[in-house]
Amino acid sequence: METLTLLGHGIATAATDPGMLLAIFVGALVGLLIGALPGLGPTAGVAIMLPVAVGFEPTVALAMLAGVYYGAMFGGAVTSILLGIPGDAPSVMTVMDGYPLAKMGQAGRALGLATYASFIGGLIGLIGLTLMANVVSRYALMFGPTEMTALMVLSLSLVAVLGTDDHLKSFLALGIGLWLGMIGLDQIMGGPRFTFGSMALLEGIEFSLIAVGMFGLGQMFMALEEETPDKVDAATYSYRSMLPRLADLVATKTTLVVGSLIGFLVGVLPGAGATASTMMAYGAAKKMSKEPETFGKGALDGVAAPEAANNSASYGAMVTLFTLGIPGSATTAVLLAGLLMVGLQPGPRLFQEQGEFVWTLFGTFYIGNLALVFITILLTPILAAAIFVSRGLLFSIVMGIVIYGIYSIDLSLEALLIMAVFGVLGYVMAKLKYPAVPLIMGVVLGPLLELGVRRTLIASRGDLSVFYSHPISLTIFIATALVILMPWINRLYQRTMKPSQA
Amino acid sequence: MSTIISHSFSLHGVRTLALTAGLLAAGAAHAFAPERDVTVVVTSSAGGGSDTITRILTDTISKMDLTESNFVVENRTGGSGAVGYSYAAKRAEDPYLWANIGVSFFTTPLLGESPVTYKDFKPLAAVSEDPYIMVVAKDSPIKSLQDIKAAGRMISGTTGIVADPALLAQRLETAMGIEADVVPFGGDGEVVAALLGGHIEVQFGNPSEVLPLIQSGDVRPIAVSSEERLPAFPDVPTIKESGYDVVLTQLRGFVMPANAPDDAVAYWADIIKKALESENWKTQYLDRFKVVPKYMAGAEFAAEMDKRNADYTALMTTLGLIK
Repeated sequence: METLTLLGHGIATAATDPGMLLAIFVGALVGLLIGALPGLGPTAGVAIMLPVAVGFEPTVALAMLAGVYYGAMFGGAVTSILLGIPGDAPSVMTVMDGYPLAKMGQAGRALGLATYASFIGGLIGLIGLTLMANVVSRYALMFGPTEMTALMVLSLSLVAVLGTDDHLKSFLALGIGLWLGMIGLDQIMGGPRFTFGSMALLEGIEFSLIAVGMFGLGQMFMALEEETPDKVDAATYSYRSMLPRLADLVATKTTLVVGSLIGFLVGVLPGAGATASTMMAYGAAKKMSKEPETFGKGALDGVAAPEAANNSASYGAMVTLFTLGIPGSATTAVLLAGLLMVGLQPGPRLFQEQGEFVWTLFGTFYIGNLALVFITILLTPILAAAIFVSRGLLFSIVMGIVIYGIYSIDLSLEALLIMAVFGVLGYVMAKLKYPAVPLIMGVVLGPLLELGVRRTLIASRGDLSVFYSHPISLTIFIATALVILMPWINRLYQRTMKPSQA
Repeated sequence: MSTIISHSFSLHGVRTLALTAGLLAAGAAHAFAPERDVTVVVTSSAGGGSDTITRILTDTISKMDLTESNFVVENRTGGSGAVGYSYAAKRAEDPYLWANIGVSFFTTPLLGESPVTYKDFKPLAAVSEDPYIMVVAKDSPIKSLQDIKAAGRMISGTTGIVADPALLAQRLETAMGIEADVVPFGGDGEVVAALLGGHIEVQFGNPSEVLPLIQSGDVRPIAVSSEERLPAFPDVPTIKESGYDVVLTQLRGFVMPANAPDDAVAYWADIIKKALESENWKTQYLDRFKVVPKYMAGAEFAAEMDKRNADYTALMTTLGLIK
C-alpha cells in the first residue's frame, strides 16, 4: 500500500508540473522519431539527448531521457511495419507479421496494434518495475554466465518455431548469423577474428548495416522484379482501414499479456535484453495460437507479441539500474550515465535517499506511456498513408535517408559498402527462400551466447556439468529440448492416435 | 601561464596593459582556440570507474565554463580496449579527441592484441590514482585473505583478460600459492552483478564502483591494493600488511592522438588542471569516491606512462603472458 501511495504522489507531482510534462512530451516525441529512423534505436536516441537533458534539474532530465527510451521502443515498429526494415534489434520480430500486414494494405491496423501492444507491454513492465523492483532484481542476479548460456540457446532454438517450412534453411541462416557475429575483436581475449586484416571489420559489423542491407536493400531489389502494381490504389481502401482497431486489442489480449510478462522477465536479466524477449514472446504466441500457420503471413498476434515484449523489457532493464546501480542493457547504461551526470548515484540506497526523485520519475513513466498512445494513434493514419506513395518514389526516398544515416554514423564509405554487400546477400537469400530473421538473430544473440559459454567454462575450469547441475540452466535446457523436439513428438502423437480414432 | 600573467597585472590596476599582455601571452602559449565539440572515448561501458571519472570531469569543465566546447563521451567497448583505442588512434591529428586511459591502454598492446600502442598517443593529463578494493558478497564465508588461502582457490571477476583485476588475481595466485580463476566481463557493473549473484567469489573493484554497495552492506571489503590503508576504510587492511607483497593502483588520465597539435594539448591540459582544482571536482568526485587527487601533464606524465608500461611488461612477463 505504501508503494501505491508513493507512486500516486509521484504521478500527481509529475502531472501538475508543466515543465515536467513538456519534458516527457519532448522526450517521447524525439524518441518516437529517432526510433522510427532505420538504423537508429533507443541507445542512440538516449545518447543523442544526453548532453541536452543534463542541463535541466535531475527529475526533468531523467524524465526526458527515459521518454526518449520508451518513445524509441514505440517508434521501432514503424519502419518494421511500413518498410520491412527494423529500426533496431528489438523490432526485428515485428517485421515478420507487421510488414505482410502493411503489404495487404492494413498498415494502419498493424501500426495501431503495435501501439496498443507497446502501451500494454509498457504498462505491465512499469507495474513490475514500480511494485516488484526489489524482489525481481534479486532473481535477476541469479542469472550468471551459465544461465545466460541456457537462455540464449533457448532463444536461438526458437528459430525452429519461427515459421518458414524449411528448418534446415532457417538453421543455416542462423549459422551464418552466428559467424557474422564473431567478426571483429574477440570479446574475451581481444584478438581480431575473421577481419581479413581490415580495420573496418575490427569493431565487428554494426547491426544497423546488416538490418538495413538485408531487410531494406534486399527488399527493394526483390521488389524490382515483382509484378505487383506500382502503388496501392487509394480508392480501393476506405479511410477505416487506415485506423487502428480497438477490436484487435481484444482479439490479441492473451498474447499481449504473455508477451509483456516474457518481456519483463527477460528484460530484467542483465545483458539478455529486449531482443531475446521478442523472440521468445513470438515463439510463445505462435505455440498458443489456434492458427499458427498464419504466423509470418500477417498474424495479428505476431505483431502484438514482440511489441508488447520489447516495451515491457525496456522497463525490466531499469530494475537492476534503480535497485543495484547495474545497467541491464546498452540503453540503461546511458541512462546510468545520465543519473551520474546529474549527481545521483544509483544503487541500493537510491530509493531511501532520493525517494522523492525516484517516485516522481516513475510517475513520469506512466504519464509518458499514456501520452505516447495518443501521439502515435494520431500519427498512424498519416504514417499508414505511406503505402499509397508510388514505390519508385518511396524507395528512392528511403534509400536516400538510409545511405545518409549510415554514412553519418562513422563518416565511413566502408560502412556503405558493407551495407550494399548485405543488400545483395539479402536478395540472394530471399530468392533462395532462406529466411533473414534467423540470420539477424544469430548476429545479435550469438555474441551473448559465446560470452556465456566462455565465461561459464573459465569459472568451471572446462567442466561442462555446470550446465545441468545449475537448476535454472537445467530447466531452460529442458525447455529448449522440448521446443526442438515438439514437432516430432506431435507427428508421432498424431500417427499413433489416428488409427485409434478411425 | 597566460592567466597567471593577466591576473597579476590586473591586481596592480593596469587594466589595459593587463588585457594586452594577457592576449599576447594567450597568443603565444595557446594559439589554439576550440571551435568544435570534444569527443572523449571511454573504452569500458557506461557506469564503470573510467566512465564515471570522465563524465564528472567533463561535466565540471562544462559547469565552470572553462571552454566554449561541449564534451561528448563515447563508450566504445570491447577487445579489452583495442576497439576504443584503435578508433581514437585513427583520428591522428584531431585536436578534439581525448581518450580515457586505463590499464588496458598498456596491457592489450603488450599482448599483441591491439593494432595500436601507447606510443600512438600523446599524453594529455593524469587526473587520479585509484586503489582497488577487494570485496566479497555480504553472505560470503570469506572474511579475510587467510580464508582464501585456506580454501586454496578463488574465482574472481575482471573487466578484461589483462585488466588490473586479472593481474591482481594472478599476482595473488603466485604470492599466496593458491589457484585463481579469472572470469572476464564487459565492465565493473557486470562484475558486481556476478558477485552479488554468487557466480564469482571476489571482485577487485574501483572505489567509485563498489563504494555504494559497501555502504548499503551488499558487499564486504576484505583488503585494499594500495600501499597504505584508505582514509575512508581505516579498518580494511592492505594486501601488503596481510603478508603478501602485492601493490597495484590504477592511474587514470587522458591522452590525445599522436599528432594532435601541441598547443591544443597544452590548452586542454590547462583546462583539466583548473577543473581538478575546483570545488565541484572536490564534492562531485574526490569526496564522493574517497580518492586522492593527482595531476600530471606533459613530460612528467609521459615519463609515468613509460614507467607504467615497463611495470606491466615486467609483470606480464613474470606471469608468462608475454615472452
